Amino acid sequence: MQRWEYILKRLFLAIVVLFSVSLITFFIARVLPSDPAAAWVGPRPTQEQIAKATQTLGLDQPLYIQYWRYLTSLLHGDLGVSIKSRQPILTELKTYLPATLELVIASMIIGELIGIPLGVLSGAWKGGALDNFSRILAVACVSLPTFFLGLLLQLIFFARLKLLPISGRISNEIAINYPVTPITGFYTVDTLVAGNWPAFQDALLHLILPAITLAAFGLGLSIRMTRASIIETLNEKYILAARVAGLPRRTILFVLALKNAIMPTLNVVGLSFVYSLTGSILVEVIFSWPGLGQYLTNAVLSLDFPVIVSVTLIVTVFYVVVNLVLDLIQAAIDPRVALS
Amino acid sequence: MRTANPVSRWLAVVLLIALLASCAPPATPTQAPAQPVQTEAPAATEAPAATEAPAATEAPAATEPPSSAEVPRSKVFVYAHPTTFPDLNPATSYSNDLVVMANCYEGLTFYNPPGSAEILAPKLAVSWESNPETTEWTFKLRQGVKFHDGEPFNAEALKYSIEKTKELAVGAAYIWDPVQEIQVVDEYTVKFNLSYAAPLDLIASANYAAWIFSPKAYEEKGADWFNEGHCAGTGPYTIESYERGSRLVMGRFADYWGGWKEGQFEKVVFELIEDPVVLQQKIESGEADFTYQVAPDNLPALRNNPDLVVYSNPSFQNLVGLLNTVKPPLDNKLVRQALSYSFPYEQFIQGVMGERATQSYGPVPVGMWGQSKDVPQYHYDLEKAKSLLTEAGYPDGGFKLLMTFATGDQDEQQVGELWKAELAKLGIELEIQGLNWEAQWDLGKSDPQKAQDIFVMYWWPDLISPYSFLRSMFHSEDETLFNLAYYKNPQFDELIDQANEISGSDREKATQMFIEAQKMLVDDAVSLFFYDLANIHIARADVKGFVDNPAYPHVVFVYSLTR
Amino acid sequence: MQSTPGVEIPPFVEPTLGSPTVAYSEWRLIWRSFRQDKLALIGLAIITIFILGAIFAPLLTPYPEQGRGDPNILEKFKPPSVTHPLGTDYLGRDVLARVLYGGRSSLSMGFLVVIIAVLIGVPLGAIAGYLGGWVDEIIMRTTDVFMAFPSLLLALAIASALGAGFTNTMIAIAVTWWPWYTRLVRSQTLSLRERFFIEAARSIGLPGHKIILTHVLPNVMTPVWVQATLDLGSAILISAALNFVGLGVQPPAADWGNMVSQGRLYFIERPWFAGAAGVAIFLTVLAFNFIGDALRDAADPYLRRT
Repeated sequence: MQRWEYILKRLFLAIVVLFSVSLITFFIARVLPSDPAAAWVGPRPTQEQIAKATQTLGLDQPLYIQYWRYLTSLLHGDLGVSIKSRQPILTELKTYLPATLELVIASMIIGELIGIPLGVLSGAWKGGALDNFSRILAVACVSLPTFFLGLLLQLIFFARLKLLPISGRISNEIAINYPVTPITGFYTVDTLVAGNWPAFQDALLHLILPAITLAAFGLGLSIRMTRASIIETLNEKYILAARVAGLPRRTILFVLALKNAIMPTLNVVGLSFVYSLTGSILVEVIFSWPGLGQYLTNAVLSLDFPVIVSVTLIVTVFYVVVNLVLDLIQAAIDPRVALS
Repeated sequence: MRTANPVSRWLAVVLLIALLASCAPPATPTQAPAQPVQTEAPAATEAPAATEAPAATEAPAATEPPSSAEVPRSKVFVYAHPTTFPDLNPATSYSNDLVVMANCYEGLTFYNPPGSAEILAPKLAVSWESNPETTEWTFKLRQGVKFHDGEPFNAEALKYSIEKTKELAVGAAYIWDPVQEIQVVDEYTVKFNLSYAAPLDLIASANYAAWIFSPKAYEEKGADWFNEGHCAGTGPYTIESYERGSRLVMGRFADYWGGWKEGQFEKVVFELIEDPVVLQQKIESGEADFTYQVAPDNLPALRNNPDLVVYSNPSFQNLVGLLNTVKPPLDNKLVRQALSYSFPYEQFIQGVMGERATQSYGPVPVGMWGQSKDVPQYHYDLEKAKSLLTEAGYPDGGFKLLMTFATGDQDEQQVGELWKAELAKLGIELEIQGLNWEAQWDLGKSDPQKAQDIFVMYWWPDLISPYSFLRSMFHSEDETLFNLAYYKNPQFDELIDQANEISGSDREKATQMFIEAQKMLVDDAVSLFFYDLANIHIARADVKGFVDNPAYPHVVFVYSLTR
Repeated sequence: MQSTPGVEIPPFVEPTLGSPTVAYSEWRLIWRSFRQDKLALIGLAIITIFILGAIFAPLLTPYPEQGRGDPNILEKFKPPSVTHPLGTDYLGRDVLARVLYGGRSSLSMGFLVVIIAVLIGVPLGAIAGYLGGWVDEIIMRTTDVFMAFPSLLLALAIASALGAGFTNTMIAIAVTWWPWYTRLVRSQTLSLRERFFIEAARSIGLPGHKIILTHVLPNVMTPVWVQATLDLGSAILISAALNFVGLGVQPPAADWGNMVSQGRLYFIERPWFAGAAGVAIFLTVLAFNFIGDALRDAADPYLRRT
């Protein structure tokens, strides 16, 4: 019973949060000093055109009515229309969102596949050479500005070594001769499904530098957090008991300890996802990656308020959903959470 | 921390690496992920090879047997373009999408590049004439022209295109404001009745809102269809695919009325790259054939590269610093003149802009009709500025000015940085505020007494006429739009309005009147006219036939190119 | 850029025993353990150097006017040399002078953001934790909303709404930051509330605000200081990111973030100018992380009170 109550409460809170976020961003975006009607018309509007557009867009209505309209159409799945391009935002998102998710997921794979094992090993052999290395690696990763790391990687792997492409998702030659048919919008997946081998290789190569750049912060984070939770678990009494009982160290570490560290690990994954999602803003700008980040940056620069609100809302939905899922899993694993 | 010793040894290594700024800091974060890079290594070495121009034709062949559809790299023209394409609808497009539109659509007339004998050339119209008052225009249309969807081009189609554009009233549709009625005389003759005199032949050559498109496609498919990456014009290329925000691919339109010859390009790719660093890398590596907007200070290096050609031509774009003529202290003409003397034009152009700019003669840019060296220039002269300030009652300056500019524009920012240092010598404090264009403009349109003192912006013509510069920026306005100097001079207004009216019939006289009007502005020091911008384009040396036409900024008419 | 305040919060075990106020000697003990940590001392040294460099910038460089922004076009893009140890930038300014002056903006932005966040977050957390009930609900739900925002995004939106500039950017970041302190302090306060000395204070009729000020706050500040130190690095990172996209201090003033952004155009041919600023950010954040980690390790026993 109490567990259901907890879940319902969490769901309700999530909705409240999303509603508040939409409210705040809408009003922030609408008080931005700009004239959306003029922007809608184009770079050289006339007074008559502005007046007409103000009416068409409903900008002559009071702000709360504008918000109400926005909210009701949002509930119908309509995110509105971009001021700058006059295109439905949903259409534009269909290409930008998968691009960002592909990048974020790739970076998480890199970050977690390296970060979590490294964290476990360095926690288990605290003070060893590997531990020292990974701790320095972790601090360096969380201390490097993403945009600077991106520039450095471009300098090394493109300009100096000529090993990897510098920007975009796919080369021109591939786009013409081996076009990618979008299914999921993840180029690596789409090309693999279609058996389009040259395009797959090309897409993968394009993914490497931006994914590494984006992965750095999450990598540092997961090393630190995994390490800390392993150390803590290893100090638990039942582990000590297992050791006294003479269980092999491997079993203790990877079966007993890691099992107990699953929740913290999931937290690491969730957090990394969330950071990567915002971190992708800068990475996309540097690597000309056509995703949400570029879309948003351009919207912020041209004060395209419907786009700013929609993208913020979408990212926040991811935030809230990831956190919600983590909380629910935690509640499922550990009933004490729901009770507290 | 008993383990401090080995840790600090690691630290020493990391710090050392970090200090070798140019190559090492990523050593740590990339060390671990190096594996995926290595496993991909064979592919990695091939991919760049495929991008080098000479190898390009062989590279795909080496990895895969060429499929029948495979187009060799040499037949593909790649334009690395620094901005995205917001709107591909021919009736409303009013942005950088011009570079695409100009290859798939055509207008009635065409504005020739500077230096041509005639200002205009025929395009979809073969000839045209007007009555002496320029209120009635008749155009004879080209016959045997087809739209991309197979529909014929004729008088009805023309009428539809322009009326649709007018009806939507978005973008540059206002250029057709003088048109009251369009009459279909016969299948290939159209007559325009205007409500007031206007140079309609010039208007029809405009780079926005003057594209002719297939009525059938627009009616049946609708506006969104165009933005999904389709076109229905009469031009030589047609859009094949469009990945929003990253790439647009065009292919030949087989039935193009101009016909096709040996050596012309088969495909055109617009690769959208916002980062100037990447743009430069693309053109240097041969992945792209054409680009612009690379970092100006890297131009000399590009010029020395035998694989590249750098084209430098006047653009119709110039940088102005509109002075707030109604708010003290700049409501005083003497102070405005002093400011005009305080900017180090020569030093700035030499030191910062290099070949990219020349000092303006008034608001009409070099290369456009109506521009003249008779319009005086201000030169850097702090002594003169000081005596003017003394005369105005500010011998030691002692006031503060706010200059706004568009965030992210390096040139505008450097204008401010340099000017600030000069004005400080006159005791004037210049505050430089970078804003989004939207916000900058919004402040400009607010109450002039609370607005900026100096509004720095680039201006480019929507119509190839001095009127586009003089009317928009300096004609009195009831409600501020682009007259961000808040200038009000009835004498000036009358002069340019008259000049515009006769510009269709007596261009000679109109030119003289426009020059007269510019002298007024310079004497009143309404604005600083910093420089006329040159368009710098960089192309691969093996691409032949590029002609820069400032009337269609940054457009490459790929049809006229060969490799 | 990805701000992670709060992430590093160790699982504080609620205090059950111990003295009512933090003993002065506690900090001395923390310092004793802290100074054993060589990394932390190195971090302290780096920070000290940068702070002194920023404060005494006019005395340390022969080109203070260039550090403030005066151009010197004839000398532009000079690679590092004896006269210009870090070279010159796109307007011919000495890069070392720019880095020293840029430190003034970057470091003070970091410190001010954290100070503002602490000033907002800590009292709210103490009030929420002490009073409980609907006040607690309102405050905590507000933090939920703010924490649900991606902080870089919110800061971007606020900074573009307020306009670019040092103060506005600082406010924008601080707005995204305070909830973490509220949560931290609330959880500490919650456990204090039922403790004997608080109940004693309540029973002698001391008003709520006095109890919070004199009994609650002093007892919850140790974890706040530790967290604040860790956050300094993140605050500098996120402010550099906003400066990088052009929303921070306005030219010609220098900031490490906008130096990287301007130098980026020339990075491949002339890496010294963006490189110097990038390395300065990296070292500073690294140093704050070293100090913060060590401080946390050193303070751990006192935070846990096991």
